[in-house]
Amino acid sequence: MYKGYLCMVLHSHLPYVRHPEHEDFLEEDWLYEAITETYIPLILVMERLSNDNIDFRLTMSMSPTLISMLTDGLLQDRYLRHINRLIELGHKEVERTRWQPEFQHLAIMYLNSFCQSRDTFLRFNRNLVTAFKNFQDAGKLEIITCGATHGFFPLMDVCKESVRAQLKVAVSHYESVFGRKPRGIWLPECGYHPGHDEILKEVGLRYFFTDSHGVLHGVPRPKYGVFAPVYCKGTGVACFGRDLESSKQVWSSVDGYPGDYLYREFYRDIGFDLDYDYIKPYIHPDGVRINTGIKYYRITGNGNKQPYNPHFAREKAAEQAGNFMFNRGKQIEYLNDFMQKKPIIISPYDAELFGHWWYEGPQWLEFLMRKIACDQETIRLITPSEYLMENPRNQVITPSFSSWGWKGYTEMWLQGPNDWIYRHLHSASGRMTDLVKSFPHSDGILKRALNQALRELLLAQSSDWAFIMGTGTHISYAVRRTKEHLLRFTRLYEDIKSNSLDENWLSDIEYKDNIFPDIDYKVHQ
Amino acid sequence: MAILRKIKAKIKKVSQVKRKPKIARGSLKKIKAAKVAPPVEKKEIMGQQETAIGKTKFYTAEAPRPTRAMPQELPELYGQDKIVLQVRDPRWIHAYWEVTSQTYEKLRNQLKDEFYRARRILRVYDVSQIIFNGNNAHRFFDIQIGDSSTNWYIDTNGPGRSWCVDLGLLLPDGRFITIVRSNTVSMPIEGPSWVTDEEWLIPDDMFARLYGMGFGLGKSSPIGKAWQERIKRELFSGSLSSAGISSVASPTKKAPAERKFWMVVNTELIVYGATEPDAKVYVQDKQINLRHDGTFSMRFALPDGKQVIPVKAVSSDNKEERKITPIVTKETK
Repeated sequence: MYKGYLCMVLHSHLPYVRHPEHEDFLEEDWLYEAITETYIPLILVMERLSNDNIDFRLTMSMSPTLISMLTDGLLQDRYLRHINRLIELGHKEVERTRWQPEFQHLAIMYLNSFCQSRDTFLRFNRNLVTAFKNFQDAGKLEIITCGATHGFFPLMDVCKESVRAQLKVAVSHYESVFGRKPRGIWLPECGYHPGHDEILKEVGLRYFFTDSHGVLHGVPRPKYGVFAPVYCKGTGVACFGRDLESSKQVWSSVDGYPGDYLYREFYRDIGFDLDYDYIKPYIHPDGVRINTGIKYYRITGNGNKQPYNPHFAREKAAEQAGNFMFNRGKQIEYLNDFMQKKPIIISPYDAELFGHWWYEGPQWLEFLMRKIACDQETIRLITPSEYLMENPRNQVITPSFSSWGWKGYTEMWLQGPNDWIYRHLHSASGRMTDLVKSFPHSDGILKRALNQALRELLLAQSSDWAFIMGTGTHISYAVRRTKEHLLRFTRLYEDIKSNSLDENWLSDIEYKDNIFPDIDYKVHQ
Repeated sequence: MAILRKIKAKIKKVSQVKRKPKIARGSLKKIKAAKVAPPVEKKEIMGQQETAIGKTKFYTAEAPRPTRAMPQELPELYGQDKIVLQVRDPRWIHAYWEVTSQTYEKLRNQLKDEFYRARRILRVYDVSQIIFNGNNAHRFFDIQIGDSSTNWYIDTNGPGRSWCVDLGLLLPDGRFITIVRSNTVSMPIEGPSWVTDEEWLIPDDMFARLYGMGFGLGKSSPIGKAWQERIKRELFSGSLSSAGISSVASPTKKAPAERKFWMVVNTELIVYGATEPDAKVYVQDKQINLRHDGTFSMRFALPDGKQVIPVKAVSSDNKEERKITPIVTKETK
């Protein structure tokens, strides 16, 4: 008889990067890499589990920006071009490494996996969202939503209209894609500001997550810590707190699983290692060296890097999955005695960590799901919705202001390099609210301009721009995007106010920033 | 209802105490003993690691790209008198503001000479649990700011309290003139709440254990233990890790690199040739593809040792054959 639950949550998100005006655009690679290294491997994991009748449960947030990119025709074409190029490079690598058997079998491994990526991509008619939707329809995967463009809500509290717009756009986008309403949400950056649960309730969301201290520092004191959800006072929206111990086993680059010496080294890519003339066709047309995804070495530890050995790495992933399960089992047994109630452990991760940063991550996840289904009886995998159905009675508290970013609050997005953006973002929010008030009804070009204004505002709000500025390295793209969307918004605002809209220019930015075709500007109020 | 009232009463009691309530601290002692401080520190270390890993999502952005110019600049001013507060963490607030030149003009006309002798001040009011009307704050403190500053990080030293800020002028005679008033922000508390819920009571020591576990300090796993040992080491080793951390402005910034001069040399071999475009060509017994004009080239990583590379061409009617065998020896000294 199982004694408690484990809820694995993967947060998948990328900011909206789509540049039809450029033939090749470096930052679009974020998407292509994540497709090859994370999203397709996850789909394949779930397919293998389903084929073997393993009864698994996974919760996954998919941000509306990510879904929009995965369903965009232009980006789908470009992904195909990207993966075809990689396959070509893969063939060359198999040939080039002929006299180095220790590398050639890796070249073959990459070539096979690229071909498999292309096959999977084509099998779902280029639309990978369908694959995830199928697992949700089969009851194995619970897909939850996120802020429309991943705006960081705690730094949007002075303009709640924007929080509402982020949520309403996200929810209706989700409905149009998945054919039902989302039950829960991954708040962008896990950022919770007390009171925002009212807006969650208003848009029909029943649960969200906070970092551990969001629940642990809630008022009154939560009886079961983070091992049972709480309901927000006044709204009844459920809040699940992250278990740091299980997060840390994976996240920590020092003690965490992905740092194991047998695992693949992320930073040794042939895009940087090989002869320039040879690799040039596969890096950026400007000649800038970039990651190709082909990496031949393992982490190794000190000294010279050793060639990667996928068999040893796979064994290690299995062993660590066993270790993770064992630890969660111990944790659950201990808590069960103590709580006299079945505890739930919430283990959330950035999805892109799996496969991209931690190459063996999807394998680890698959081993974990198999082992939990077959090797033990202490833990049961569950989704938050199922948990709430089975355990409707929970304590009522006000969770604490928090995020899962550096230092646990807002500093990652509010520090020297990025604090300048908020006066502009907040002004734009205020102006958007003003526009909605001024134009409760509109049609034709005015309506198009108002809708585009909201698109530009939402795109400017992506927390990713502030995050990149906060990391302090190569910030120009992030600065540029913030300014570009704000400038487009400002011009729209002024043109609308002075009734001097330029249709050609409007069409041009509609073509460039084409996210959320069905957006209704009136949600910003 | 009774519980609610009790909680409210407790909150009220706390709100009447100025500064950090000693009583509350006392009741938290047990939890503190269960390491309230380490989790925060530990979280910070992990937060840095998370940030560093999260950054790899955007790894390809790290290429310099000087060609594209920045778009035009954003407006510097929006023509509104406004001051906005945002919470950075339990202690710190960020404030940004804008005051129009018309407003300053008006003040200059009103105050005449005094205007030039006035100091620009942020007056920070503790407005916890009250509806602030300008006069009923529990206390306030002033920060003098320069004429050209437009934002400020304020250390409130007041977790769990609510704050409101006036941007204004402090005249030589001590009068304070508010130019613009901010929104009110409430700071999160830094540890667990002292407010408990009768219906969901839990003894302090048990909560302390749950609290530690939630922060990943559980003893159930070897890793949990490793962490605890690490934290202990850091706590008792004088060279407190937090000192190292606080000197790092951004979690992903690297420490100045030590001298690491280096060199890598690799060799590759290009084998190329030509034959009739419709011939079949084998290199080391493996068939290869020819270009349309019958030329071919192959590139191999060349390890140390001897490579024998037979290249064989067979005519399309299989009647003729040519074989050439380069032999390459590589040594590294």
